[in-house]
Amino acid sequence: MISSPSAPAQSHALAIRSVSMSYGAENVLNDISVDLAPGQVLGLLGPSGCGKTTLLRLISGLLLPDAGEIEIAGGKVAVPEAGIALPPEKRGLGMVFQDYALWPHMSVARNVAFPLQMKRVGAAECKERVAKALDRVGLGAMAERRPSDLSGGQQQRVAIARAIVAEPPLVLFDEPLSNLDRELRETMVEEIADLVAELNLSAVYVTHDHSEALTLSDHVAVMRGGRIEQTASPHDLVNHPATSAVADFLRLGCLMPVARVADGWTIEGTGLVLPEGAFEGAQAQVLLPEKALRLGASGPSTLKTTVVRAQTRSTGQALTLRVTGTPHLIRLSSSSPVKAGDMLDLSFSPEDLRWFPISDQPT
Amino acid sequence: MARGAVATGAEGSATLKWIAIIGLLLVVAIPCLFIVVQAIFPEFGSGSFAAPFSVFFKTLIDPDLFGLAGNTLLLGVGTMVCAAILAVPLAALRALFRVPGALIWDALLLIPFMIPPYIAALGWIMTLQPRGYLEQLTGIHLAPLLFSVTGIMLIMGLNTFSVVYFVLSRTFETIGARYSDVGRVFGAGQWRSFWRITLPLSMPGLAASLLLVFAMSIEEYGTPAALGRRIGFEVLVTGIENRISEWPIDLPGSATLSLVLVSMALVAFMLQRWLLTRRDYRIVGGKPQAFDKKELGVWTLPVSLLFAFVAFLATGLPILAILATALSRTISGGLKPSNLGLDHFSELLGAGSEGLVALGNSLVLGTTTALLAGLLGAITAYSVVKGRGRFRIVLDALSITPNSLPGVVVAVGIILAWNQPWLPITPYNTPFILLLAYICILLPQPVRYATASLHQLGDNLEASARVCGSGPLKAFVRIVFPLILPSMVTAMILVFAVASRELVASLLVAPVGFQTIAVFIWQQFDQGSAGLGMAMAFCAVLITTLIPLALISLLRWASKGTVAGLR
Ligand SMILES: Nc1ncnc2c1ncn2[C@@H]1O[C@H](COP(=O)(O)OP(=O)(O)OP(=O)(O)O)[C@@H](O)[C@H]1O
Ligand SMILES: [Mg+2]
Repeated sequence: MISSPSAPAQSHALAIRSVSMSYGAENVLNDISVDLAPGQVLGLLGPSGCGKTTLLRLISGLLLPDAGEIEIAGGKVAVPEAGIALPPEKRGLGMVFQDYALWPHMSVARNVAFPLQMKRVGAAECKERVAKALDRVGLGAMAERRPSDLSGGQQQRVAIARAIVAEPPLVLFDEPLSNLDRELRETMVEEIADLVAELNLSAVYVTHDHSEALTLSDHVAVMRGGRIEQTASPHDLVNHPATSAVADFLRLGCLMPVARVADGWTIEGTGLVLPEGAFEGAQAQVLLPEKALRLGASGPSTLKTTVVRAQTRSTGQALTLRVTGTPHLIRLSSSSPVKAGDMLDLSFSPEDLRWFPISDQPT
Repeated sequence: MARGAVATGAEGSATLKWIAIIGLLLVVAIPCLFIVVQAIFPEFGSGSFAAPFSVFFKTLIDPDLFGLAGNTLLLGVGTMVCAAILAVPLAALRALFRVPGALIWDALLLIPFMIPPYIAALGWIMTLQPRGYLEQLTGIHLAPLLFSVTGIMLIMGLNTFSVVYFVLSRTFETIGARYSDVGRVFGAGQWRSFWRITLPLSMPGLAASLLLVFAMSIEEYGTPAALGRRIGFEVLVTGIENRISEWPIDLPGSATLSLVLVSMALVAFMLQRWLLTRRDYRIVGGKPQAFDKKELGVWTLPVSLLFAFVAFLATGLPILAILATALSRTISGGLKPSNLGLDHFSELLGAGSEGLVALGNSLVLGTTTALLAGLLGAITAYSVVKGRGRFRIVLDALSITPNSLPGVVVAVGIILAWNQPWLPITPYNTPFILLLAYICILLPQPVRYATASLHQLGDNLEASARVCGSGPLKAFVRIVFPLILPSMVTAMILVFAVASRELVASLLVAPVGFQTIAVFIWQQFDQGSAGLGMAMAFCAVLITTLIPLALISLLRWASKGTVAGLR
């Protein structure tokens, strides 16, 4: 199926090197490079329209790149310079589409059997593997139903069963849960995580929901405007965002401009002076991570804030605070009751701040 | 599906693309090409390209041509006017007022679609001619009106106005619900809001449906041939038919006239398309919403009588006349119980009768045409939707060309193309030539249905089959085709109904001695056996209406609602 491996055997389940792609004059993907080790999950995270689906369609072969190189399981599948362009059916993948894409004229079992039939698996074995895949997603009893007679979550499970039934070397998920309501989404994330771990799948998981990406992935690539901003493990991403855009997209905390003064830096509009950071230039941005903040004036550094909104949540209160003297908003949850208009002091340690250059404006 | 410009990794099947190209070249492009070549090179038939354009210009400045083209325009415009006069008031009444029995009138006004115009025209002749049924019943006959240009327009108007009626009553209803109620909120009365809002907003729809009537009437052969010839009123269609079927045969002349006729139909067709794709018409689409219709009050009875009268003229009278003729032992015997009997039917359906053979021929040809045109239509629509670049434009253009090719022109093209003496083998003089003609005439129907339902399919249904390991051809056969099949069946039924009783192309290209339903009826009527012809006409209307209806309800029952698209 896949052309003979040219790279060291099975070093990568997927390797994308400098891939670019445009729709006419509009450049949609720019110099994308990612690697994925076998048995790992890559999360592709980014705002709507940043090119996630396009990248996934390039991997699946439904689109072809303008430049660059794509390798699946060690075999080159798309290298425009060398004229290599394997059609989707020759790439042996599994894929879960955002809109399920189940075939309405076939029963659930026949939908799931399709990839096996395409591989000319014998009828008996086919039947057995379909039953196993359907059991795995908890739909063993619904094999003879039509997809239209299933609920949204069940349909998505069928789509997942169809993607894994042929045990492909790589499974692609395109926002598989975005059409489901929140409750179902949360259970399904866990189910998918279990399934991926159990089958030791290599997978690319596209989403614009960071909690989904952080839960499921071994590595997360954050995309913005057709580029990859950062690729890192979920832990590194949360603790060491590479750019203010990543911090902003992940809503890690409050981004504020700071300016150099005689004895260090000050957050513009407040009297707060920060010690000298390891940063050159006259201006910068700092990220004040939400998890670095404590209520109270215990220090080392203290910010004065006003409560703008206090909303009751199941876990306590969700507060929106404005830093006094500035337009910047901080989101925080708290268990002690406060109301709009109250003044609150927040404490943090300056070493928890993350510094970014000022030119790097989030869009 | 694929959006054009971008290099997609999941190209449509190349096999299907070539089937579409070769099919369209064979069925559509070749006849068109031969008409053009013949019009330019008059000696082409004898293998020479000598004297290009000599006859072309001679025909173009021929006063004959001006006469024919003028008559054609006159007939088209007159029919449009008649159809508008019949349809607009009825549609307005139907849409804005609570007309008693509205659904029954709607159903009755559908019947003109099921009666081929030439059969209706023959029915009118039997009724209005001297000593016809009207005279037998009332003592007066209207032959002077019937055999006049106005009479032809009236009868063609009656045959075609329901197209306008259905489009317009729907448009009126939608606009009435959506916009004129708003007007009334701002203080316009019912009539004011109809004149100021509903009617102007319906204009594009009205114009488009009237253009369709125009195209239908300039392409029609049966009615002008049956009525006009007696008074020497010739139009382009009959002129072309004359030149190709009567001695001395004038191939270059018929080719040139064909080009003129096609240009007229093309203009009407393009105007219609332009009207329908303009933005202001799109807001009018959609389902009529429930809205408050006015009571008719004292007008209830007159309005019901008006509906009954028009429905009787358009539907009841032709059918009754056909039935009466079919049941009369002799025409001269008149409408007397002693003269009535089933003799013609038993002659028609008796063992070994010519009529039975013709009936069988038409049913087989109709079915084959439906299957082949359906398949070619689906493959063509798929290739166009998946295709890119110039190839896609050419294919698209070829597939809708027959919309502006009247049956007589298709016949001329096919004769010119396949009757060339140097061809080693040719389908000419075999029933296959009829198949080629019917597929060409009817191809736009399945293409239109298939394109519409392909656009409704989600992009990803085919994409996911490809990712699952299926090649393009297999994805078409296993996924795309089954999903568009329900609407293809509807299209194929339509094709069957029209193909099985097509008249003019059958008259011109049928092999010697080979009869179809239409040819049989036409010849019997010509030879004075109107009774036998009308018995066949009655059977034809019945069969070509009942078989499709039965098929549709069978399918609906069999699919039990599991197949989307069969409503
Ligand atoms: N067929 C197309 N032709 C032209 N531009 C396109 C086409 N498909 C997508 N685009 C553009 O490419 C960009 C990336 O689209 P893509 O579908 O990959 O975004 P996405 O990250 O998947 O967004 P979402 O989260 O909304 O699904 C968008 O700006 C979009 O407008
Ligand atoms: Mg997307």
